Amino acid sequence: MNSPVNYMQRLRIDDKELRARRAFYEITDEDLARLAGLRAFGERNGAAIVDALYQLLLEQPESRTFFPDDNTVSHVKAKQRDYFLGLFQGRLDLAYVEDRLRVGAVHERIGMPPKLYIGAYSRYLRLLFDRLLAELPVDEAHAAYRSLAKIVAFDKGLAIDTYIAANLNTVARHQAAIRELSTPVIRVHRRILLLPLVGTVDSHRAAQIMETLLLRVVEEQARAVIVDIAGVPTVDTMVADHLLKTTEAVRLLGAETILTGISAQIARTVVQLGVDISTMHTRARLEDGIELALALLGRAITTTKAD
Amino acid sequence: MPGPIPILRVADNLLVTVQTDLHDAVADAFQEDLLVTIERTGAAGLLIDVSGLDLVDSYVARVLVDTAKMAKLMGTETVIVGIRPEVAATLVRMGFTMSGVRTALNIDEGLLLLPRPRK
Repeated sequence: MNSPVNYMQRLRIDDKELRARRAFYEITDEDLARLAGLRAFGERNGAAIVDALYQLLLEQPESRTFFPDDNTVSHVKAKQRDYFLGLFQGRLDLAYVEDRLRVGAVHERIGMPPKLYIGAYSRYLRLLFDRLLAELPVDEAHAAYRSLAKIVAFDKGLAIDTYIAANLNTVARHQAAIRELSTPVIRVHRRILLLPLVGTVDSHRAAQIMETLLLRVVEEQARAVIVDIAGVPTVDTMVADHLLKTTEAVRLLGAETILTGISAQIARTVVQLGVDISTMHTRARLEDGIELALALLGRAITTTKAD
Repeated sequence: MPGPIPILRVADNLLVTVQTDLHDAVADAFQEDLLVTIERTGAAGLLIDVSGLDLVDSYVARVLVDTAKMAKLMGTETVIVGIRPEVAATLVRMGFTMSGVRTALNIDEGLLLLPRPRK
């Protein structure tokens, strides 16, 4: 289960950040007062503007898919009217931001692409402008429009931030999953661990491999650790160095490392690079490594029936 | 005057559990104490348990390695046991691998590595 993202926390929105955003969007107290004064206008026109907005959204095939039936449409229209009236609250505090982030998060969750979400604002503003011009003297209509445009830009900024934060959250979860998958330490026998390495080993991963492996050695009180590198595409100087360091660290704990899965090509590369891994136990095949590990522990596999 | 770290004698071996941080002065006294005890007892083996240390810097690591080398000169085998994972990782990252010193997971394993008691 994905836990819901706390966007306020993730975007680090506090009083200071809110002030900075307000300053950047040039939203003054005068703007807010002007909008509060237009509340009656908002209440009068909300329903019509929201209807016109959904006309656009239901017209376009791509956006229509998000509103499968009439129930959904009437539900989101009601929500949209709340949102619309929110523009005329005359306040811009943390509660307002939280409310806006929630709206953005809902759209992100249902998978509405930002182009539609942001695009809808375009019609929103145009509809608003038309209504303002119809009801107010030109000067006032322009002033009101400027104030509204600022707030709408502020809301758009929050919406984009929500989308980005949600994506970053997903990426972070995937990275954690990959990290976990990249170091599966398996117990193959009493006090014998196996670490099958697959894929490229960079320094970040190498550090993580070492950490995980050492913890497991102590946890399992392992005496032998088999590191199988059959799935590692190339062993260069750096990878060899990581392996040597891991071996040393494992030795410090009191266990031994056996390196298996060394193909002819890897053997050739390692020697040609001049890397000395002669301090490690090495075997070509995993099964040989398991037998060596058992031998280190004074155990052996015996045949009970002739092949 | 007794040293800062108690040295126990078990059969033919010496057993030391380091639990306090080995500051410079403590480390020197500890080394001196150990060597004198080896001289006095002619112990066959020395087991140093460092599982109580969550921090081993290069100085302490050197003291431990040097002590093992000195003990060896006097005919005593040293095994260091209980190095913590994070300590091992740090030491290796610093390039300090304590080569030449034997290590074991715990005291039981360490004792197995020491010479059998003389009859």
